[in-house]
Amino acid sequence: MTQRQLAMVIDLNKCIGCQTCTLACKSQWTDRGGREFMYWNHVETRPGKGYPRDWQQAGGGWEGDKLKPGRLPRLAEDYGIPADFSFDATLFKEGEQPLRPTEPMQWGPNWDEDQGAGEFPNGYFFYLPRLCNHCTKPACLAACPRQAISKREEDGIVLIDQERCRGYRYCVAACPYKKIYFNPLAGRSEKCIFCYPRVEQGIPQACAYQCVGRARHVAYLDDREGAVHRLVNEWKVALPLHPEHGTQPNVYYVPPLSPATFDANGKPTGQPRIPDDYLVELFGPAVKQALAVLQREIARKEKGEASALMDMLIAYKHGDMFRLGRPPEQRS
Amino acid sequence: MQRREFLKGTAYCGLALAFGGPLAPLPAFARKGKRVGAGGTATTGANRAWEDFYRKEFLGTRGDAQGFAFHCSNCQGNCAWRVFAKDGKVTREEQVAAYPQINPKIPDANPRGCNKGVVHSRQMYQADRLLHPLKRMGKRGAGKWRRVTWQEAMDDIAVRVVDTLQKNGLGSLMLHCGTGILSQGRRAGPLRLGSLLGAQRLYPASAVGDMFTGASLAYGIATIGHSLDAWFEAKTIILWGINAAVTRIPDAHYLTEARYNGARIWCITPEYNATAKQSTDWVPVKPGTDSSLAMSLLHVLFRDKLIDETFVREQTDLPFLVRLDNGELLRHRDLRDKGKDDVFYCWDEVSQTAQPMPGTRGHFTKSLRLGKLKPALSGTWKVKGRDGKEIAVTTVFERARAEAMKFPPTATQQTTGVHPELVERMARDLARADKAIINIGFSLHKYVSGTMTCWAAALACALTGHAGERGGLDTENNWSLGGIGPLSSPKPARFASGFFSEWENGGMAATMRQHYPDAHLKAALGMDAAGLAELGDKFRQSSNAWFGKPRVVLLFADNLLQRNKSESHYRKAFVENLDLLVNVNHRMDTTALWSDYVLPAKSQYESWDLRGELGYHRFCNITVPPKGLKPIGETKSEWEICLLLAEAISREAQRRGIDSIPDPDFLVQAGDKAGPVLRDLKNLPAEFTDGGKLKNDEDVVRWLMQNVPAIAPWTPEDAMQRGFVTLNREAGFNSPLYANRPFHSFENNVYLRQPYATLSGRQQFYVDHPVYMKMGCATPTALPPLRPNTFPFAFYTPHARHGIHSQWRTNTYLLRLQRGEPHVWLNPKTAQGKGIAEGDPLRVFNDVGEFFAKAKLMPAVPPGSVVMDHAWEPYQFRNKLGLNNAVAGMISPLELVDGWGHLTFNPNWDGNMIAFESAVDIEKART
Repeated sequence: MTQRQLAMVIDLNKCIGCQTCTLACKSQWTDRGGREFMYWNHVETRPGKGYPRDWQQAGGGWEGDKLKPGRLPRLAEDYGIPADFSFDATLFKEGEQPLRPTEPMQWGPNWDEDQGAGEFPNGYFFYLPRLCNHCTKPACLAACPRQAISKREEDGIVLIDQERCRGYRYCVAACPYKKIYFNPLAGRSEKCIFCYPRVEQGIPQACAYQCVGRARHVAYLDDREGAVHRLVNEWKVALPLHPEHGTQPNVYYVPPLSPATFDANGKPTGQPRIPDDYLVELFGPAVKQALAVLQREIARKEKGEASALMDMLIAYKHGDMFRLGRPPEQRS
Repeated sequence: MQRREFLKGTAYCGLALAFGGPLAPLPAFARKGKRVGAGGTATTGANRAWEDFYRKEFLGTRGDAQGFAFHCSNCQGNCAWRVFAKDGKVTREEQVAAYPQINPKIPDANPRGCNKGVVHSRQMYQADRLLHPLKRMGKRGAGKWRRVTWQEAMDDIAVRVVDTLQKNGLGSLMLHCGTGILSQGRRAGPLRLGSLLGAQRLYPASAVGDMFTGASLAYGIATIGHSLDAWFEAKTIILWGINAAVTRIPDAHYLTEARYNGARIWCITPEYNATAKQSTDWVPVKPGTDSSLAMSLLHVLFRDKLIDETFVREQTDLPFLVRLDNGELLRHRDLRDKGKDDVFYCWDEVSQTAQPMPGTRGHFTKSLRLGKLKPALSGTWKVKGRDGKEIAVTTVFERARAEAMKFPPTATQQTTGVHPELVERMARDLARADKAIINIGFSLHKYVSGTMTCWAAALACALTGHAGERGGLDTENNWSLGGIGPLSSPKPARFASGFFSEWENGGMAATMRQHYPDAHLKAALGMDAAGLAELGDKFRQSSNAWFGKPRVVLLFADNLLQRNKSESHYRKAFVENLDLLVNVNHRMDTTALWSDYVLPAKSQYESWDLRGELGYHRFCNITVPPKGLKPIGETKSEWEICLLLAEAISREAQRRGIDSIPDPDFLVQAGDKAGPVLRDLKNLPAEFTDGGKLKNDEDVVRWLMQNVPAIAPWTPEDAMQRGFVTLNREAGFNSPLYANRPFHSFENNVYLRQPYATLSGRQQFYVDHPVYMKMGCATPTALPPLRPNTFPFAFYTPHARHGIHSQWRTNTYLLRLQRGEPHVWLNPKTAQGKGIAEGDPLRVFNDVGEFFAKAKLMPAVPPGSVVMDHAWEPYQFRNKLGLNNAVAGMISPLELVDGWGHLTFNPNWDGNMIAFESAVDIEKART
């Protein structure tokens, strides 16, 4: 085990899909040097094909102690090319050329924005921010023939050594979340580094700190005062994405509630419009209990009673959502 | 980068090789498991020196200089950012996230910001940035430009400005600053120059269709409400036509936090959107039928007597007496010869007589305190008229109730699509909540019925006693930043009605006639096109607004050719008659594209600026460019550009021997006589700089900080340290802004009993203006959607997530998060019925015009509607014709009324261009 694990909880009820995190990450890391098509952090609409397209069908992860085969996403069809636009021809030259990508766009990180599933008026969707899960049992690490991937002792951040990496892309295929990208310009693979250069200076991750929905909590998993530990281990309302891949992710999600569906006459049924089955598919069977706890605690607040869980999710002070100082040694 | 660099890279590595295809793991290697233990863990590699690779990159983005900024745009978000620069170029921006928490029981306002603000550093260097003054060479809009010097541009513009002032009068010059710049710093330049010259300008909120006339009817003020942290304390929140998760991104967190704090959140909107997703209950109202839903809400409140009678008796006009014979309010003049027009009566239950209500405009008591009066709410009585005859009277309450009783939720379901259970529950949630807020979004007044919906929602708040700390209606709170007058309006300016000027300048009655048959208008509004034109003529006669088409237009940050309905028609009518159209802008927007001169302005991070009028929060932000920031091309701040214009106009006037032009439309005291205001062209530069005191954007910001009382005691140095300062108590309009509590409108009225800014001095729910009487709208009621049935689909265009109107709409980074070009949202069933598949090119058309865009299938969108997020630049569409090309011109008779009490042209009473009442058809287009 690494000494410590820095982890993140993302509250999907607070995520409004605004993409501020996506672009905060982009301007921090991926707008240059062959990374233009990469989104180390992005937000996709669920249900949907996501980014890269159909990543859930692209394999990877563990089957027992064996790595499952995976597929490398294609640039234009699955990631989407980082398009430029015809500003000069459209605005500064004569003619009828409308503003268009200089090459046709086939896909992108937010291509199926707000589409979701279901039938009106019972359509539904929600937003799922995704980044490297900095897994406890990273498939990418195991798959790397160069032994270029490691997990840092002090914070569990998974990194690809940019000097050792030769761009073989076994890690890309092995990651069941398809959160590793091959940089064609550098000839190396790259991914979310959990903003370790920021974290080392006491500045939280760009995606988390700049999240205007105040949806993200960051703390060491063993920091008993931290919201991450309490939400994941005590309240059990924050769950990893696709736990069945066996990588033991360290990004956790508070599952989404949703308004009721309507019957044929337009009468509310009392049933949430996001089907439980779909959430189980994403977060495993524990999601049902997590939703029940959330509803129970909301009901307490509605009655004017106290709820420590609700207060934690409310997060009265933005600065308190991030606990980057390492906790003192704890004996259990 | 440097797309080219990227392509080179991919080409080098070989696209096929680098991406795509299956890749099996190397099982032998993984099994070796040397570095992966039984628990699946691994240790850090030995050599970690390489980690500096990303550390160095991070430091690079942190730069060598820092500034502060906010993004001055019409989202009204006003968020403080830190701006990093390296070698004179901005590298990145990040929220300051240091707003103090006002109260430990309320979440703080950090970090604020959004997806547009976070990429402005990319926008400022993008290829649509204007770098040099440009002069049009080809036909207007053709895109043929010649680079000219500032001097050349200014000299030519000055000649044509002075020409028109001389030949066509002062009002023939329009100097208008649009909603692209709403800050107090950058906006001051164009306002000041226009004011000195006596140029005409439009009320911006009206020009863009953002007036809340329903709130103006009720309160005499259009923008009222709360700081949005008030959401957190509310137990019921009704979001009506407002997609807060998309349009109030920095504040939307308070909604989920309120829900976690026990609030019920109701979201009323035709499509299931990002805010519906955040809500406890979504109310899927059919487009344009909101007023029927509102009346059913009132129905339940009246029916079940969910009424705060004490509040209603004192704070509203509901106890006012109405004559049964003619439906007018009973006035002093009805009872006495030479009686007053603005004294009104109630039926006093104590004395059993009609008694004048205190606090009305004509009453000598300027307080709402009722003293010994106990005004009746229900009943009919007889009072003796001035001719001795008896007049039968009832109350406004009775009238409002009778109207509401016509709309039981079971009856309106057919119209609205909303099940009665939802209405019943919403009404009870509203009534029982200690604090409830109804937010009215900018979508509602895009319908003619919006005025009524908003007015009815105000009545719902009044009936349930929601005002002051108990919440109430919220359109958009703005702070009162007094003290700016001497800077922005040193001399009187010509204010033109926003919506009516656009209507006239664009000849838009023509497309209304095309789209709405007279019989249809008559049935829906009680008047046909001729009737509406007649009403317009009356408005011209009675109003104190400036009327008249401009000949020379100097536009700052106003994309009117993108915004206006019946796009190609408007453009032809407006632009073709102009002698000169000058656009001051940081990017080539559609209006710039059609201009004669384009003058390159600095953008968000490049000039000093200050903004504090936005009432969503209490912080006044400042922009201070990072030290050593290199200018982008030949850009200048708006203040500098205005000064150059002033100097050029002064030179040209003197060349022609003109010192000043008297302006008899405005009189000033000169000694013991009144004389016309002098438009002093000779001394224009000195007047503009106040004798050299205001030379640049920094001088302006320092002046503001020293002269706006609500900013005291903070100094420019305080603001420069943190990027913001906190406004003081003075910032509240009709309530104090307390240091530790959210702001709520109307505390002065509710607790101190000060009269409201209405004719009745109260929250007003009866208007007996003849037009309102004729339309059956004397009290809140429902109006049907106006959309004609000549085309099958409702077409409505809500605000966008990836732009603030047209700002950032063409941003490369945001376009990559969309599909790169405009898409129309269709319910899959609608699409199927037309043989349209995902991504197909579409033609959207009606009898006004057409446009082309691609199809995006959205189960969240109601069948029968064609929906599209608004404000794409027309040049993002085929033929450079945008979505407004299929929207007919339309204005509302309810908003053309003028000269009745508080319904008199002023910043709180001007109308809207109706945007969501057109019908369209769609078909698959040939590519």
